[in-house]
Amino acid sequence: MDDWKYKPAGDLGLPHHEAFKSLKRENGLIATALHWIWWSFVRAYLNLWHNLKIEGRENLPKDPPFVLVANHCSHLDALVLAAPLDLRLRDQIFPIAAGDVFFTNPTISAFAAMVLNALPMWRKRCGPHALAELKQRLIEEPCCYILFPEGQRSRTGEMLPFKAGLGMMLAGTSVPVIPCYLEGCFEALRPETRWPVRHPIRIRIGKPITFESVPNTRSGWEQVATDLQAAVKGLGQE
Amino acid sequence: MRAFEHPVTYTVTIAVAASLVLAPLVIQGLAKVGRITDARRRQLWVRWQTWMVMAPVVFAPILLGAAWTIAGIGLLSLLCYREYARATGLFREKAISLTIVLGIMLITFATLDNWYRLFMALTPLTIVMILTVALLADRPQGYIQRTALGVLGFVLFGHGLGHLGHLANDPNYRPLILMVLVSSEMNNIVGYIVGKRVGMPVLPQTSPGKTVANMLSGLVLTTGLVMILGQSVFRGTVLESWQHLFVLGVLISVGGQLGDLMFSSIKRDLGIKDFDVTIPGHGGLLDRFDSIVPISAIVFHYVNYFVGVGVGEPIRIWTSRG
Repeated sequence: MDDWKYKPAGDLGLPHHEAFKSLKRENGLIATALHWIWWSFVRAYLNLWHNLKIEGRENLPKDPPFVLVANHCSHLDALVLAAPLDLRLRDQIFPIAAGDVFFTNPTISAFAAMVLNALPMWRKRCGPHALAELKQRLIEEPCCYILFPEGQRSRTGEMLPFKAGLGMMLAGTSVPVIPCYLEGCFEALRPETRWPVRHPIRIRIGKPITFESVPNTRSGWEQVATDLQAAVKGLGQE
Repeated sequence: MRAFEHPVTYTVTIAVAASLVLAPLVIQGLAKVGRITDARRRQLWVRWQTWMVMAPVVFAPILLGAAWTIAGIGLLSLLCYREYARATGLFREKAISLTIVLGIMLITFATLDNWYRLFMALTPLTIVMILTVALLADRPQGYIQRTALGVLGFVLFGHGLGHLGHLANDPNYRPLILMVLVSSEMNNIVGYIVGKRVGMPVLPQTSPGKTVANMLSGLVLTTGLVMILGQSVFRGTVLESWQHLFVLGVLISVGGQLGDLMFSSIKRDLGIKDFDVTIPGHGGLLDRFDSIVPISAIVFHYVNYFVGVGVGEPIRIWTSRG
């Protein structure tokens, strides 16, 4: 008889506070229930308080892997990007969040991990090893990432240049990237304010792009960043 | 019955408390005379600190009352299942895991209600549910593995550990459960002290540290402890006899050591060292409570067969209309 194949949890053996920050973190029943509750609440909130309009929903793939990217100027952005996605994918959607903002305080770290299902990106010390781990997880699990290639929220509402790091994850792969444009998030929750105000929000979802033929080199990564920036900007000008 | 009414209850509680107070002095003393290495001293220190938290966490629900005890054991069952599910990968099968969690909660409810028939019926019914729910994914590849892991998990942590909770439906539950816990721990402590230096390993591939010497030492000391405590626990019943207590002691010791070996075998199969890191110096809950899993059913059925558990107590406390 063949041996059974076991795959223990990726974060097995890590204390809780380390597991929350781990890129190998996996969800149990409690986290799954929290995700379901949270994202159902977020969807209802965005519809009722911000009259969320979604354009181009048909461009979303039905199953992972895929990556959603958008312009970034508000803490509402990740919530809005996830809103159009099927609830059955809730456990497989990982917003990539700034580690220095969401994963240094234990309480916020627990919330980011257990409720938001976020994975950390340490902006000041993000090495190739972390990006390689994210890439492997994206393809093998498979799962979906929500990413903001600008690397930080724009303080003025204008798009900042996209960083090339995203290219390290996508160049040479067949993972579809869906460019999106978010409108109204900046006015609803500016970077300097604490609470959102009532303001309509719209998300435009573009057609998927793949970077299979793009070389996995520095120039390839920059090409990925440039192409995606153009795609997102183009959606904003429609 | 009040918490400390039975002499075994207050004797065991005081003995454990005294051990915790004296342990640091013993550790320091052994280190000073060079009987233990510095690494061992640090390891013992961490273990002592953990016991300072674990002992009250274990004793408190037992002393507080039967409902607290049953609820505490129900929580232990859920947490043990969680560790098992994460170690085997079964946690990824959400529908199966949810079925098992609900099964354990229902077992706990049946125990709280002192509804033995429901308690026994829940095992085959939950197994059928696990097999049914696993069909819903429409993924025959790996069906046997998923369901077998699920059934094993429920039988060990729902049905198995649930028997310990059911003991709490007996008015004499405190000294009985404390005797079970302390005697199973005696097995582990003797094994740790005797170590693997003495004697041949019993199952070297499974547990290189388990030697004939430490198993026999555990058997002798555990059986002796059960015979001493059991005379008071079972006073006035047929189990008071030295023959019964001898058999019970052997069953607890052998059962506990089998539990230890079973979970060692599971860990070796999975390629992991510990089930988790919940308990500093010990590993996970399963690494600490592995011996209790088989002992629970053994003790319950031995006592129930000869004496009865909860005889004369109200049954179906919440669900009965009469």
